[in-house]
Amino acid sequence: MTFEELEHTADVLVRVRAASINELFADAARALFSVMYGPCRDAGIVQRLTVEAGDPESLLHDFLSELLFIADVENVVLCRFELDVGEGSLSAVMHGEPFDPAKHAGGTIIKGISYSGLRIVKDDETYGVDVLFDV
Amino acid sequence: MIEGVKRAGLFEWEVPIGFVPGMRVPGRFFLSEDLGQTLEAGAVQQLANVATMPGIVGNSLAMPDIHWGYGFPIGGVAAFDMTEGVISPGGVGFDINCGVRLIASPLTGDDLAGTKRELIEEIFKAVPTGVGARSARTLSNKDLTGMMTDGVGWCVEHGFGLPSDLVHCEEQGRMEHADPDAVSAKARQRGLPQAGTLGAGNHFLEIQIAEEILDAPAAAAMGITEGQICFMIHCGSRGLGHQVCTDHLQILEKATKKYGISLPDRQLACAPVESPEGRSYFGAMACAANYAWANRQMITHEVRNVVAKTFGIADEDLPLVYDVAHNVAKYERHTVDGRERELCVHRKGATRAFGPGASDIPPVYEEIGQPVIIPGSMGTSSYLLRGTATAMERSFGSTCHGAGRVLSRTQAKKDITGKALREQLAKEGILVRAHSDSVLAEEAPGAYKPSNEVVRVVDRVGLSTLVARLEPQGVIKG
Repeated sequence: MTFEELEHTADVLVRVRAASINELFADAARALFSVMYGPCRDAGIVQRLTVEAGDPESLLHDFLSELLFIADVENVVLCRFELDVGEGSLSAVMHGEPFDPAKHAGGTIIKGISYSGLRIVKDDETYGVDVLFDV
Repeated sequence: MIEGVKRAGLFEWEVPIGFVPGMRVPGRFFLSEDLGQTLEAGAVQQLANVATMPGIVGNSLAMPDIHWGYGFPIGGVAAFDMTEGVISPGGVGFDINCGVRLIASPLTGDDLAGTKRELIEEIFKAVPTGVGARSARTLSNKDLTGMMTDGVGWCVEHGFGLPSDLVHCEEQGRMEHADPDAVSAKARQRGLPQAGTLGAGNHFLEIQIAEEILDAPAAAAMGITEGQICFMIHCGSRGLGHQVCTDHLQILEKATKKYGISLPDRQLACAPVESPEGRSYFGAMACAANYAWANRQMITHEVRNVVAKTFGIADEDLPLVYDVAHNVAKYERHTVDGRERELCVHRKGATRAFGPGASDIPPVYEEIGQPVIIPGSMGTSSYLLRGTATAMERSFGSTCHGAGRVLSRTQAKKDITGKALREQLAKEGILVRAHSDSVLAEEAPGAYKPSNEVVRVVDRVGLSTLVARLEPQGVIKG
């Protein structure tokens, strides 16, 4: 795991650190699915997605919001993300498994991705972001 | 108390203008010394941030269950002028019309003896719960439109409720101005398979006993007597509401720039109440609110079916006491400085508490004020209160909504395991049924402020007054 859960009384606050912007977005996505469904394995489900937004934070926000939608309507749990994050847009190929109540129903529903405190920072060679999930 | 916050009364605190730059009005919150020990600086900062928003009227307010959220604090109440003011999804939250309802019954504790476990098991089977829960019914897009525009009315028309349920519900279970065209196809896609599901997290369905009557005439008006069994349902608008918030947050993010509004937190994204963007959000939010009322109504229908089958009693003997919203924005009329004005009132983790004689109260409650239902955390007391004239004067007719967390979910899981908690509650006679032990640990009573202290403060301040204390007998968690 390349993300950690920080203390937050009401919601779930995760801190992600990664060596590249692609990995940062992928780890944030993994954090989201981990909170929602717990363990996940790549069992042949593939989803593709493109997102456009005006700034890097909005791009991350909209990408994660889109994942909540996909999880809800496609009944899938995703765990491996091949991402190409560019200036103002991203494309993703995502792998996972079908939602299985016996395995995944005990997680925490994320209702939305908050803009509060959402800021991507880069120091030396590391990208970082704290993301607040409303649960 | 947090530096810069001033005492303004026995249970009242002021956050003066200047606490954060750009405040237009002071912040004000209600809290006892005991509750003050767990107050987060982040929550006060959020209360002050709300005070910077254009057109805010009176004070930026918070109830005694105030805690750190995103955008508005949880427990936050703010009213905005219809012309100069704004509307913000950050003042409502992702779970639009998350709320709670109470159903009375003719049963007593003795009736439950020997049948409680079976009853909980049957309700757990009948009401889809947990992450990924899907409706047992197949609804059409037309049905979904009906739920979004007519709320409980649609349910009653389609056999999921009694005509009296309509009366005993905030807004009669249907907000006006619902605009299905403002709801995206994505939100519809999420809402269609989730109608009548409880969800997960802090949502629950409880079998409770009226342990103590604190205001006999008001309890009598609500049909509650000591020793009576009741059913409490706490849930919201599911994926549909979450998507409406997400969609309109994106629209209002752009609108904030378009209208030249400067904000200290992006999550406060907003637009003038009467702007096309503001109206569109309100229309979509009203759809989600109506869907949430319909959702709780469909769950009520399932509970009535199970209870009727188990005990051989009619639906009419299981009347709805009342249903209140915790996360919503409303156009309401309030008297400010002696003048009646229409305002856009945001309540985020706060309950409407209209007093005697106020508008939108069913005739049966006209003299006592509207019922206010405050759910406890799992295994602790819930309370029935009533709205007051003081709330109309002090808090735009608002009061607290629940216990409010004091421990993070990670900390709660470190403190107790779900299994140990389930066994501990069973010893106290409280049976718990859930999909996961993990959610039980996260929602442990120790993770929340004591609900009795929160309601004591609102009762002492007069924002609502105590009517009855309800104790859990059986709990279904998502």
